[in-house]
Amino acid sequence: MDDIVRSAPSRSWVDAANGTVEREAFVGEDVFRLELDRIFHRLWIFLAHDSEIPDRGDYVVRTMGRVPVIVVRGSDGEVRVLLNSCRHRGTKLCRGEAGNARNFVCRYHGWSYAIDGGLITTSYDEHLPPGMDKADWGLVPAPRVETYRGLIFAAWDPGVPELRDYLGDMAWYLDALFWRTPEGMEALAPPHRWRTRANWKIGALNFIGDSQHVRTTHAGPIALDKVRSEKDGFYVQGGESFQVVTDEGHGCTLTYLAPGMPERNYLTHPPGLRGAYADTLSADQLAMLRHLRVMVGNVFPNFSFIESQVALGEKAVIIRQWQPLSGTEMEVLSWVLAEREAAAGYKDRALKHGFHNFGAAGVFEQDDLELWASATQASDNPIARRFPYSFHSSLPFDHAPMENAKGPGRAFQPSNTEVAQFAFMRRWDAAMRPLA
Amino acid sequence: MNDVTSIANGDPWVDTANGTVSREIFVSEDVFCLELDRIFHRLWIFLAHETEIPNRGDYVVRTMGRVPVIVVREASGEVRVLLNSCRHRGTKLCRGEAGNARHFVCPYHGWSYALDGGLISTSYDEHLPADMDKADWGLVPAPKVESYKGLVFAAWDPGVSQLRDYLGDIAWYLDTLFWRTPGGMEVLAPPHRWRARANWKIGSLNFIGDGQHVATTHAGPSTLNRLHSKKAGFFVRGGESFQVVTDEGHGCTLTYLAPGMPEGNYLTHPPALRDAYAEVLSARQISMMHHLRVMVGNVFPNLSFIENQVALGEKAVLIRQWQPISGTETEVLSWVLAEREASAEYKDRALKHGFHNFGAGGVFEQDDLELWASATQASDNPIAQRFPFSFHSSLPFDSAPIENARGPGRAYKPSNTEVAQLAFMRRWDAAMQPGD
Amino acid sequence: MDDERGIATVSDAAFLEVQRLLNREAALLDRRDYAAWFDLLTEDVKYVVTARVSRPAETGPLDYAIIDEDADTLRLRVLQIGDPKLTRAENPPTLTRRFVSNLEVEAAGPPNDYAAHTNLLVYRQRGTAPDGDFYAGRRRDLLRRDRGSLRIADRLVRLDHNVLFDGSLSIVL
Ligand code: FES
Ligand code: FES
Ligand SMILES: [Fe+2]
Ligand SMILES: [Fe+2]
Repeated sequence: MDDIVRSAPSRSWVDAANGTVEREAFVGEDVFRLELDRIFHRLWIFLAHDSEIPDRGDYVVRTMGRVPVIVVRGSDGEVRVLLNSCRHRGTKLCRGEAGNARNFVCRYHGWSYAIDGGLITTSYDEHLPPGMDKADWGLVPAPRVETYRGLIFAAWDPGVPELRDYLGDMAWYLDALFWRTPEGMEALAPPHRWRTRANWKIGALNFIGDSQHVRTTHAGPIALDKVRSEKDGFYVQGGESFQVVTDEGHGCTLTYLAPGMPERNYLTHPPGLRGAYADTLSADQLAMLRHLRVMVGNVFPNFSFIESQVALGEKAVIIRQWQPLSGTEMEVLSWVLAEREAAAGYKDRALKHGFHNFGAAGVFEQDDLELWASATQASDNPIARRFPYSFHSSLPFDHAPMENAKGPGRAFQPSNTEVAQFAFMRRWDAAMRPLA
Repeated sequence: MNDVTSIANGDPWVDTANGTVSREIFVSEDVFCLELDRIFHRLWIFLAHETEIPNRGDYVVRTMGRVPVIVVREASGEVRVLLNSCRHRGTKLCRGEAGNARHFVCPYHGWSYALDGGLISTSYDEHLPADMDKADWGLVPAPKVESYKGLVFAAWDPGVSQLRDYLGDIAWYLDTLFWRTPGGMEVLAPPHRWRARANWKIGSLNFIGDGQHVATTHAGPSTLNRLHSKKAGFFVRGGESFQVVTDEGHGCTLTYLAPGMPEGNYLTHPPALRDAYAEVLSARQISMMHHLRVMVGNVFPNLSFIENQVALGEKAVLIRQWQPISGTETEVLSWVLAEREASAEYKDRALKHGFHNFGAGGVFEQDDLELWASATQASDNPIAQRFPFSFHSSLPFDSAPIENARGPGRAYKPSNTEVAQLAFMRRWDAAMQPGD
Repeated sequence: MDDERGIATVSDAAFLEVQRLLNREAALLDRRDYAAWFDLLTEDVKYVVTARVSRPAETGPLDYAIIDEDADTLRLRVLQIGDPKLTRAENPPTLTRRFVSNLEVEAAGPPNDYAAHTNLLVYRQRGTAPDGDFYAGRRRDLLRRDRGSLRIADRLVRLDHNVLFDGSLSIVL
């Protein structure tokens, strides 16, 4: 790993002037190793939702780049992120995906650790030299762990900025999805998990602002949902739509419902909660939510989110982690969330609806994945690598943000350009440069 | 890829003076990468037979090294070879193995391309920068595509010689298999496809001239066919036999039927077609075919062919592509052909007979594959690689071609030496040198 | 109802009727004849597929739904995968071969007639990948006599999978 970092190219994969990106960035194993070093083992990485580990000792096992970690709620109620590897010979402390522990006992030789990571005993403490300080031999904690609106992030570089500062203007949009009631959101089930033979950045790009793919890739669900919605008197006609780009390469795409439809078609969130929204959100955020048909976006590097309403009353908030496994493979984690205060019946419907569209067998998901895998496979050869990907449809637009946008960040119209995608790629390219 | 090139300057892989070849080149991933660079992504590679795509818009999907391509008959009737990867984000245009298209529409964001590869529309042309020239963003065409007697080849190096010149003297032999009637040959079914955990070169060597393996490897079918033939009064006694080597490392082995057998045993091609042969072939070619029992050969690097008569009236022309997957794995494609003018009933028998012996379940094939895989596996370790393969039995013969050969090229007797195999290896070694 | 009670309490005739239904169903799905398949379901059918969270043995397993459909959403799903214009994942179609075995049949409470428990192994091959792969699980079907014949009213497929492989599940199990 060190060799690669030292020989890391100061070259660029992104041609900002011409709107193209080298395919190598989407298939190369060297690029992937550099991404681990520069991005996944350094920057803020989303790991879990607070509600997955409500009680002391609750934990989930997640991955940051190649680093396996335990995300655990300590006895003080704090969330910690610990390297899931015994300090003695490296054995994993937690070999399942989730559970509850009073402490972490290594099954190999019996070292045991408190849930805050501190080493309790090696089982053979009497054989240790007096100079060994057990305080130095606890489970390795990620130096930075912060939670924003229930979203738990960690970073291995102690020098990263505060999470709230890193999220910047994107926080305003995240608030509208993840903290719109006083209690916040709740993960309704364990995340779906699946592997796919595609580069992780395709997922991030797809969510940050890829309106162009919707009607082609998802011809199936769109046609079928239209028929169904018409029967319900719900016209899913899109209205105004725009992309938002913020610092650090975060971004999202918002699409409103067309005006002039029956009143009940707007703000189809549970009536019981609408009052609560007003307690938490600003008037601008409420106005945005009221007409929203889809909000979909990405926090750099690999945390995506979507709230989508495809038919009347079918809404779900979904979050994603695009977990890279190699240059050409990733694991996807996908959660469905709802307001904690929502009725059990609503949560049940949100979960089903969320999975139906965007889960491991989602009717949207299945078509995306097939195409992403084929893109990765077809690009993974030297001839294809001579021909960069096109991000041209960002160029005529990305110097002209809208004047009176509805929220913070730089907003762009129309929404079906590639402005946000290219902003993501530029941020990525900057992150990949050798550190100053 | 560039780094790997330097290994070509190290130890000789092919020791011509001593008649040995390093095992490394039959297993190594580095050598495989260099082969991609120097051979498969550069030289003429066989892809398809014209009759697989008779009509406009007919296409088959094939691979050149690691490059996925579409072989399509475009509106003008010309055959094009296009990189099967969208210029936008790399998605495969064709995800099946074969079909017919009016144009190629990418299923991800809807870029559409004409059959000649030209970009028709990005679906969002209004968002493109003014200076983007759509003519630069068509599907990438292989710079060289030519057909010889129905065999479609392509090359990624625009500087390769004309296909006819590349084939040189082997063309005379190919003519007798692939263009012996005015209508030419026809592929009778889609190619059989299978994977083998063996290096691709073992297949090429086996077909170019491996008279030594027949009696041992194919003891089974040889014995059984003899019984079968005796019953039919057809004595498959081999007569004269020799190997032919031509420039560029092509070659073949011909075996005649022994003389003095009943006349009905010779030239067992369909009687109705024999006159047609005379229209197309020269007298020398016809006299060769009259007594031919087996012709088997290879066009460098990975197109093999065989016509074989194992029992009375059981004849078939087969072609092979040895498609490298890695240093130790190969995908084999195998087609059966017959004269277009042949009767339906003859074609049916040729197809069955061809597959019986040389298809994915072929009785010859199965024994070869088992042994090739074991050779690759047993050589894939550093100890074995200290000990090169023996090609000794070429040395006493390869400087003495026979005087009055029946066709062009350099012919050698006896046929059960390794002259043609070592010639293949020498050509391979030259191709792998940096300046070749 | 999700777990087997162990003993088949029905007649051989009933057992055979159930077996014929499930064999016929598997053949229809392998042929991708979704219209005919839908006709084997009751109008209020429920269809659930679960995967499993890997947890310490002391904590016990946890299954979670990856598909949870009623008749309406299930119809949408099969309309999509059955129509070449409406699907990307299933065009070219996945090749499948379903093996339905280890059948146990027991009487079920009203309104259903039987609960059928089977092992399911689905061989799956996509594109030109040389290696096929498998979905494996235990299936529990509630069957009801409806419109004159025995139909599937409720299906639960408990997949023996944790992280799903190779993209998204785009076939009916
Ligand atoms: S490896 Fe954990 S106690 Fe030895
Ligand atoms: S990848 Fe082909 S249109 Fe976008
Ligand atoms: Fe032991
Ligand atoms: Fe999508």
